[in-house]
Amino acid sequence: MHKLVYFWRNLVRRRQVERELDQELAAYVALLAEETSGREARLEAGGIQQLKEQVRDVKAGFFMQTILQDVRYGWRMLRRSPTFTVVAILALALGIGATTTIFSIVYGVLLRPLPYPADGRIAMVFNHFAPQNAEHGTLSIADYLDWKKGNHAFESAELFRQALFDVTGAKEPEQVRGAMVTAGFFSTLRVQALLGRTFLPGEDAANAPGVAVLSETWWRNSLGADRNILGRKLNLSGVPCTVVGVMASSFHFPGPNYEIWTNLRLIPPTRRGPFPYRGLGRLKPGVTLGQAQADTNAVAQRIERENPVTYHHMTMPVVPLRDAIIGNIRPALLAFLGAVLVLLAIAAVNVAGLLLARATVREREIALRVSLGAGSGRLIRQLLTESLLLALLSGAAGCLLAYAGIHALRAWNPGNLPRIEDIRLDSGALVFALLVSVATGVLFGLAPAFQSGRATPASSLREGGRGGTVGASRRRLQAVLVMGELALALMLVTSAGLLVRSFLLLGQVNSGAQAPPENVLSMKISPASSKYRDSEQIIPFYRRLMERVRSTPGVTYAAISDSLPPDRQYDYDTFVIQGQPLAAGEINPAVTCPIVSPDYFRALGIPLIKGRFFTNQDSGDAPPTVIISDSMARHYFSGENPVGRRLKASGPDLHDTPFMEIVGVVGDVRYAGLDDNNADAYYQPYAQTLYYQRTNLVVRSNGPAAGLATTLRREVRELDADTVISDVITLQDALGASVIGPRFRTLLVGGFALCALVLAAIGIYGVMAYSVAQRTQEIGIRMALGARRSNLIGDVVAQGLRLALAGTAVGVAGALLVTRLLASLLFAVKPTDALTFAAGPVILIAVALLASFLPACRAAMVDPVIALRHE
Amino acid sequence: MSEPAPKTTNLLQGTLDLLILRALSLEAMHGLGISRRIEQITQGTFQVKPGSLFPALHRMEEAGWLAPSWGESENNRKAKYYRLTAAGRRQLQAETEEWQRISMAMAAALDAT
Repeated sequence: MHKLVYFWRNLVRRRQVERELDQELAAYVALLAEETSGREARLEAGGIQQLKEQVRDVKAGFFMQTILQDVRYGWRMLRRSPTFTVVAILALALGIGATTTIFSIVYGVLLRPLPYPADGRIAMVFNHFAPQNAEHGTLSIADYLDWKKGNHAFESAELFRQALFDVTGAKEPEQVRGAMVTAGFFSTLRVQALLGRTFLPGEDAANAPGVAVLSETWWRNSLGADRNILGRKLNLSGVPCTVVGVMASSFHFPGPNYEIWTNLRLIPPTRRGPFPYRGLGRLKPGVTLGQAQADTNAVAQRIERENPVTYHHMTMPVVPLRDAIIGNIRPALLAFLGAVLVLLAIAAVNVAGLLLARATVREREIALRVSLGAGSGRLIRQLLTESLLLALLSGAAGCLLAYAGIHALRAWNPGNLPRIEDIRLDSGALVFALLVSVATGVLFGLAPAFQSGRATPASSLREGGRGGTVGASRRRLQAVLVMGELALALMLVTSAGLLVRSFLLLGQVNSGAQAPPENVLSMKISPASSKYRDSEQIIPFYRRLMERVRSTPGVTYAAISDSLPPDRQYDYDTFVIQGQPLAAGEINPAVTCPIVSPDYFRALGIPLIKGRFFTNQDSGDAPPTVIISDSMARHYFSGENPVGRRLKASGPDLHDTPFMEIVGVVGDVRYAGLDDNNADAYYQPYAQTLYYQRTNLVVRSNGPAAGLATTLRREVRELDADTVISDVITLQDALGASVIGPRFRTLLVGGFALCALVLAAIGIYGVMAYSVAQRTQEIGIRMALGARRSNLIGDVVAQGLRLALAGTAVGVAGALLVTRLLASLLFAVKPTDALTFAAGPVILIAVALLASFLPACRAAMVDPVIALRHE
Repeated sequence: MSEPAPKTTNLLQGTLDLLILRALSLEAMHGLGISRRIEQITQGTFQVKPGSLFPALHRMEEAGWLAPSWGESENNRKAKYYRLTAAGRRQLQAETEEWQRISMAMAAALDAT
């Protein structure tokens, strides 16, 4: 109670409290003087300020009061040297802003819980077997039914697949991304509909009527948020579906931009394939992931035992939902986090260096305060308050930067980050920014503060901020800081160098299409499935389409293909070569198998190596033909001429397809991405394959083809107004888009490295400029004694060089440790790439030399007369 | 030749509070008065320096044991006087008992063979 009253009084009526303290002590001194006739009193009076400080120290609220005082004082000090303040705040705001942005990304993608209750208990179930050979491969309906029957670990076992729905009957025919899901899909995720309902048990039965749930976004944008939508029928890829519900826009599953979910009807399969599905389940209470994994693997073993022709080495991987969604982005994000923390450390070290340099200027002020009774603890607290103030101001600026950064990032979505909708600057990120600010404030403030706290007033006042022991130890500290800064910068520069090298190498990879990429335009076309029910109907449509497009002015070749470089692989399958029986247990790897029209190779400029291209004679009634890639010829025909040999598809179910004669060998094309070295492929003519609904129209022009898009759309529409067109893109843009992830991380880490270089340059410049200023007198003497200017410049530059070399040595060692962690992000470059490790130090030393050259020149300009008169 | 100064002892932790309370138990006094009274009642064993005295006075005032009042000093100066409050008397009582307990225990310990 008393404490509170005094707390209030000491804080609010500070002036009165101080006056009373003055009076009390003055009376004491006067009385003492009378008693001892002034002998003792003089001695005591000398310490009156110190005495007051000691009394204040015990008073309630003193701490708060001094903090307020320190903040006010610190604010005045910061305002008095605006250049220092602005530079320091900019450097730190950059560091804190970048760190907060990256933290928000890492938190949003890797750590933020998914918006499903107990999301950690939900897992996805995959299929892994030879010859499908995907780590997290997909399931068939038969696999699912076996899993559901043998399941003991999950309280629900569900299945879903992605789908593209052609929505017709409304306005423009539209292609909408969606998913087909079993009845318990939504209840497994424990999500409710915003409007209407989700699916009911039994709605995945083979004979169930079609029902659909829409996304709020699509419902608003395409249906005008029509509240009467429930119960209406939509035509989805030819299937009439009754709308039963709308999901809130916060629901993104299996990913962003999914707009429609329809009921997956579990029609009893007549064969094991096809395999487009993924499993979803919620673990029973108490069941661990490991137990669930053992459970699904037991199912997998039984499936493999019962179907030895289809499956080899089968397992059913269980992956926690969050891991399944974020995929392999983790190493890149952790690399960003590491890089940005290094940048932050550099910024903090930089500001520490600036503070140290400023401490010299303030030495007299501090000495004066010590002699007026400031204890060293009090002084350290004061200086720390100042650096905290600086850090908090920077933190606020950094948060603004982070806010802008995250906005830009979400608008742009570089590198196809998963869960981008979950990345935002929230209270967690703000708390993080605050913590980072405080931590950096304390860290960079600590060294200079203790430095000054150690100062003794006598020596400082005598030294006048020059030479002496404190000056020497401060210089040592400064040198260490700059070396550390250079070492950290080198680690960043080396990492960025490796990423730049791999990105450049990736850019040099030949996609396999020799045509000028800006002259090739592709678009995905989906003819209305209600009109084209089989190959009899669709092949003539495609033929007419190509004839029509081919006669458009500017078009040289028109073709269709279901796969396109650089990364639009539609399907892959295994094969059997006639006369090359497989050894027991041997399985051919799966290869890409595009289905193309005759002009496809010419349109993309894929060279013919042997034999011939397809022609219009390779039709349904002609003998089946096939063209293989050069890489496949090398791998499976070991130097013999493959033309004239025969092979057939041997997918898990395709036992009775006919052998096809190899009529040609063409150049290698990358269908699985530029960074995938495997270019084995076999092509089939489109007129000889089964019905397929979607394909890509590829057009080659004699000039840039982007301008053709409108004309081509019109041509397609005129041929059939119900055809859905999507993904119109030139080969050039497709190549760019396929490396957007690597480009993003290269740009990001490269940007960090550039900032680090600039900060390191400022750091070394600061130290050298400070050192030159310190030695003005000495330099003046040397010049008066006849030293040449070039010698003086050399002297200063050599000092900078020594710092740079020491920093580089530490940095190279650090970089060797760090770049190993980058290995999974590199393409065709080793983490210890000699060129990068040579170039990094060269760049750093060059920057250091440049940064010390300016102060060196200033040293050489010193006028000896003025320098000697100096003080 | 002057008389040898009485041997002074550093104040034990916590002793100062007790001495101040004891010094003020008869009448209100100002800082110097308290310091002289302590010297007197301890026969010069303890000399309280202002650097210890004033922080202690302010601390004890804020704890509610001492109440301040402004009055005229012997030489007609305005001085801050301290007197014991009820809480201060209770504190004096408690600390005295505590001290006696300790000193008896110490004496017993030192007498033991």
